[in-house]
Amino acid sequence: MTEQRVTAAPAATATALEGDTLLAQAVSGARFLAKSQPLGVIGLFIVVVLCAVALFAPWLAHYGPKITAFDTYQPPSAAHWFGTDHLGRDIFSRVVWGARLSLYVGLASVGVGVTLGWVWGLVSGYFGGWFDSVSQRLVDILMGFPPIILALALMAVLGQSVNNVVLALIVLLMPTAARTMRAAVLSIREMTYVESAQAVGCSHWRVIFVHLAPNTLGTYIVLVTVNIAYAIVVEAALSFLGLGSPPDEPSWGGMLTAATESLERAPWIAFFPGLAISLVVFGMNLLGDALRDLTDAKLRGTTGAE
Amino acid sequence: MGMRRLIAAAVVLAGMAAGVLPLGAALAQETARRGGIVGYWDYSDPARLDWMIESALSNQQATAGVYSGLLQYDPDDPEQIVPDLATGYTADADGLGFAFTLRQGVKWHDGRPFSTADVKASFDRMLDPKVKSPRCGALLKDIVAKVQYPDDQTVHFRLKFPAATFLPSIASAWCRIAAKHVLERDGDLQSAKSQIGTGPFKFKRYERGSIIEWERNPDYYDPRYPLVDGVRQYILTAPARQMAAAKTGQIDLWYPYPPMTKTQADELRKVRGDQVDIIEWPVNNVWVVFLNTTKPPFDNVDLRRAVHLALDRQELFAKIFEGVGLPCAILDVKTDGAFALPPEEVNATPGCRRPKDQDIAEARRLVARHYPQGLDMDVLAFAYSNQTARAELVVSQLRKANIRGKIRSLEYGGAYSAIGRGDFQMIGSLNTANFVKDPNGLVSQLYISKGGRNFGKWKSERFDKLADAGVREIDTAKRIQIYYEMQRMLLNEDPSGVVMLGREYGYYFRDKRLRNYHFAPVMYDNLTFMKSWLTK
Repeated sequence: MTEQRVTAAPAATATALEGDTLLAQAVSGARFLAKSQPLGVIGLFIVVVLCAVALFAPWLAHYGPKITAFDTYQPPSAAHWFGTDHLGRDIFSRVVWGARLSLYVGLASVGVGVTLGWVWGLVSGYFGGWFDSVSQRLVDILMGFPPIILALALMAVLGQSVNNVVLALIVLLMPTAARTMRAAVLSIREMTYVESAQAVGCSHWRVIFVHLAPNTLGTYIVLVTVNIAYAIVVEAALSFLGLGSPPDEPSWGGMLTAATESLERAPWIAFFPGLAISLVVFGMNLLGDALRDLTDAKLRGTTGAE
Repeated sequence: MGMRRLIAAAVVLAGMAAGVLPLGAALAQETARRGGIVGYWDYSDPARLDWMIESALSNQQATAGVYSGLLQYDPDDPEQIVPDLATGYTADADGLGFAFTLRQGVKWHDGRPFSTADVKASFDRMLDPKVKSPRCGALLKDIVAKVQYPDDQTVHFRLKFPAATFLPSIASAWCRIAAKHVLERDGDLQSAKSQIGTGPFKFKRYERGSIIEWERNPDYYDPRYPLVDGVRQYILTAPARQMAAAKTGQIDLWYPYPPMTKTQADELRKVRGDQVDIIEWPVNNVWVVFLNTTKPPFDNVDLRRAVHLALDRQELFAKIFEGVGLPCAILDVKTDGAFALPPEEVNATPGCRRPKDQDIAEARRLVARHYPQGLDMDVLAFAYSNQTARAELVVSQLRKANIRGKIRSLEYGGAYSAIGRGDFQMIGSLNTANFVKDPNGLVSQLYISKGGRNFGKWKSERFDKLADAGVREIDTAKRIQIYYEMQRMLLNEDPSGVVMLGREYGYYFRDKRLRNYHFAPVMYDNLTFMKSWLTK
């Protein structure tokens, strides 16, 4: 191994070599990914761009997202790349700042919602019995509501704010994640290594979090990537219906709502946020599919198309 | 072509050639036709139909042709008051009383005879202190001392003081007469089955969220009217749907609210060309921001004044109304006549004058005096029509004065509920229409301490006294000076809990095949279609 051959070298050289090795591994991994999951790489690229836009929004956006200082309904131009909206706001700046809001909503709701659902599914699937029956009936109840109706009802009760959108999404995502994770646990808990752990006296919680959880990580990652896209779309839908983020926040869905009254006059007001939503959802779905394929033993080592 | 049409055509041509005969008068020479259905629309679903205790325009529109009042604004000339269920009135010698003679032989739509008992039941209800009658009750409660019924043909109103607003109030579309037997049977007029009137049309059907329909009343007291067989009001809440109805000819009239924007009017002109008359018209409606004066920060006059100074009305009107309307004006020369301050004086006052730099600097100074780090506040916005967008623009402008608003958007019912509880600091945008042809209509709603739409609960003894004097004064020249003083006080001293943004104007259309319809100075007062007729 490389590390063994350089143990006597000065520390700086060792770090450089480790860096080279990591880079080589990353390049090799990227080549493998590009070959086995080319669409996934495109998805990853889109997601990375989204993250970069969200992160560097203050530097990328030409103006503040709420500044109404410009003439209304200006078409795209050198001064306003995506034009201006009905209140004289720069649409490019709002789309850029909107990436931050979308990413926050996506990551926060999915991070919390899917993780809680993961734990719920692990516990429910592992213990089984009456606890499983009761908790799965609760999942049935929550999944029985059409998702957008449930989200609308929650927003109507909670009131309009970005954090309440996240809360509503958590309630939407948790039961689906719990059901999916429980299904994974039901097969894993019968494995011999789980029986072995139980036989040597591991506690239930150790079995759940040390032996079961790591083996459902693949499913968890796929759920996260797929649901980020879902969360972004639901946030956009809620904002479009007037029950999402506060109206002056640069939400892509909210921007679409504002555009409905001027589609003929100024189609660019709807076009660019619509394009942003489509691109991000497309990217997230490509990435999610690729990760699913990579974590699926049956598909591992093949391209998704095969 | 018959001799009558030849004569009519000759009159029209001669008049137009001479350039002295307005088009409306020329059309009046045509022979009115009977039949046809007027297509009209309502901007929202009224749901509740009791116009005695409701105040929404949609409510008035839904029932306007079904009822009659003692007096009415003449559909031929909506500036003029003419008899309706009263054939006339006489004033007492001291000017403190009016006796109305009731029309005989009038029937309710269910066939029962109309009588003074119905008039009594209606005014008893609207003037009852326990009944909140936000339109007619608000107009009359303070000025009417008592109503007497000396015989079965006469109603006599005795006033507390001579009031110039009395007759316009009695003629208002909000002060009509309902049937005593219906009020006794149903308890109110909220449902469709309670819509039994004496008006030119019978209430035919109401499908929630879809349509309201009236049909011709064959027993109307004036057998010449109505001329059309009925009116269909489509409930069109989405602006795109409203425009589609206008472009396809589903509706014959766009009036009264919300008006078309200039862009919409241009779109319609392109599609329907000379099939429609499009006019720019005052909506008789003010656009305002409300500040809650009962709690911080706007219990402080400095901060109310900061908001007043910081808002750039010209920019607001340019962006929301495409430059149409009267920024800053409280009263409008077109609708309030000489009671309105001259526009040049209004536009020179702090908060309205241009450029804005001086006013914004002063607003920042006032905010910094009480909130050195800037003021953060809650802004309530109505989630209907474009009120939210308007509030967004207001909030955006206030940032220049270091006032940072966080918008809380609520649907109609939720927003009014929050207002009722006083659960707001600022209402970012709202409209209030003058509902009677008198400047007191607006003042009594918005500014006096017990005004029905004084949502900010602003109280000023001096203003209340001025408003009271404005109602009591019957000398027009003196009244004008009183209203001038009120406007100057609001513009220069204390902007109250109502920050006036200005008077809304807009564009309306009338299909040329709808004849003898005249836009009224007060949007509620000519919605019956009683004398209109169709050529299609």
